[in-house]
Amino acid sequence: MTTAPTVEQLAPTRTAKVLKASLKHIITFGLIIFVWEILGRTGQLNRLILPWPSLIGAQLLDLFFISGKIYFHFFTTLAEAVIGFFIGVSIGISLAVGAAFSPRFRRYIAPYAVVFNVTPGIAVAPMIIAWFGFGWSSKIALAALVCFFPPFVNTLTALMRTDEDATDLFRSLGASKREYFWKLQLPNAIPLIFAGLKLALTGALLGTIVAEFFSASAGVGILMQRFAFALQIDGSFATLLTMSAMGLMLFTLMEVLDYRLVFWKRDSRMDSVSKKRAARWRSRHGAIEVS
Amino acid sequence: MSDSALESVTPTPQPSFGGDVVIEANALTKAFSEEVIALQGASFQIKKGSFISLVGPSGCGKSTLLRLAAGLIDRTSGSIRVHGEEVNEPRTDIGMMFQKPTLLEWRTAVENVLLPNEIKGTIDDAARRRAIEALHLVGLKEFEFHFPRQLSGGMQQRVALARLLQTGADILLLDEPFGALDEFTRERLNIELMRIVDDTPTTSLFVTHNIAEAIFLADEVMVMTPRPGKLARIVDVPFERPRSLELQLTPEFNAIESEVRDLLGSYV
Ligand SMILES: Nc1ncnc2c1ncn2[C@@H]1O[C@H](COP(=O)(O)OP(=O)(O)OP(=O)(O)O)[C@@H](O)[C@H]1O
Ligand SMILES: [Mg+2]
Repeated sequence: MTTAPTVEQLAPTRTAKVLKASLKHIITFGLIIFVWEILGRTGQLNRLILPWPSLIGAQLLDLFFISGKIYFHFFTTLAEAVIGFFIGVSIGISLAVGAAFSPRFRRYIAPYAVVFNVTPGIAVAPMIIAWFGFGWSSKIALAALVCFFPPFVNTLTALMRTDEDATDLFRSLGASKREYFWKLQLPNAIPLIFAGLKLALTGALLGTIVAEFFSASAGVGILMQRFAFALQIDGSFATLLTMSAMGLMLFTLMEVLDYRLVFWKRDSRMDSVSKKRAARWRSRHGAIEVS
Repeated sequence: MSDSALESVTPTPQPSFGGDVVIEANALTKAFSEEVIALQGASFQIKKGSFISLVGPSGCGKSTLLRLAAGLIDRTSGSIRVHGEEVNEPRTDIGMMFQKPTLLEWRTAVENVLLPNEIKGTIDDAARRRAIEALHLVGLKEFEFHFPRQLSGGMQQRVALARLLQTGADILLLDEPFGALDEFTRERLNIELMRIVDDTPTTSLFVTHNIAEAIFLADEVMVMTPRPGKLARIVDVPFERPRSLELQLTPEFNAIESEVRDLLGSYV
């Protein structure tokens, strides 16, 4: 309670600072939109090439609130991307764990991994469509293919980069391979694995949308294409913004997960986790006198 | 755990003075490749309860010697015995400490100290109590639930020391454990380490680059030559225990210090 006044004193100044900082950006952004809109309304822009903000806004309004037809496409793409993400990531991480444990397996797959990495996954899209057809499965397959590599290479790198002294420590304590993996190798690798997952997420979205371009009956990719082919560029822009929103949403989710899980890399998180651990200890082993 | 095939090759079959010797090396050699001979023909005996310091120029094979004794690497020839048994695999009755704290960042201090119990399957309330006590012993009261990154380098090394004590090992291999710390912290940790091992029948092998520290802590100082590392001399340190820091100001201490310095200097 004694700290309350200080917090109150500090709070307005901090909020003011944040406001002041963001105000600059808001003004700049507003200015760009304003100039863009003026240029459009005064006939300086061709609406078939660069529609102005109010046109794009009207399309967004229609997509989300009037016709509401975006939701079907939005959730179709989202579901395909997320499923593809999980499949790609599972395969990537499993292969990496296998390669980390077996030097022979590692030697065998290394050249393929290199070739796979330098081949643009998107280029396989026509083949994927040929194999999986025009339904949702081809989207999931391409998403999985495109997002498989980052988690694979990050997991493998992280697992192979276990500290030598820590390894010695575990060996001299008589740790089994299983304990070594679960108690040292894996937790040690988690920050880098997460970095791979973030890249994979962007890849999954990209794979899904590209597959939708080829042919689909649902998804933001096909919506984008329909608008573009009908020369409704304002609609295309609205769809593009929707895609950005989807990407941002997924990415934020990963960030939050990362922040919660990899608490030991975040100075701001450690304090509260440390308090939680102390409380847990006291409730479980209260009989053991601490401090 | 002794391998009869290997044992028949070793030159000296048994230590001459029975159960008193804890670590015994005979013509111990380790070559990482044809050019890199990290350790050549080291022979020594370490008695139970003694504290041995190991000094020598960088790269002379001190860490290699420790890792051989712990069974973390295989010797090329010769023999290394612990409690009379040839070392052929990692020994779990040996505790190790490194220059880096080597803590698990995602575990609190006490969780780090309990790692040996977890791995050996001996975790219970008694072990938990001992872990807390070990942390208090090394001066980390009120830091039991801090994560390594919330602790200073010196405090992290104290957690590592507590973890070492928690293993219950009666042989400690310490590879420059306080080498990365400032002079002041190092001195205090040395005193604490000495107090702890004086109270227990622990046998310690301690690597350091600090000659005064080596002498202050030890019963004997083993001096090594540069690559290929050989054991040059074993210098006796006859001072009584418990020792205080003032010992370092006495002429007797300085005499030993310059002897070791001369030995090392003659190789540079
Ligand atoms: N795993 C290894 N593979 C190849 N060579 C090694 C290996 N470990 C050590 N060496 C070599 O063996 C020699 C002795 O190394 P060691 O680490 O034992 O020296 P050290 O006395 O501990 O040195 P420092 O005081 O710098 O820690 C060095 O030349 C080193 O390069
Ligand atoms: Mg070393």
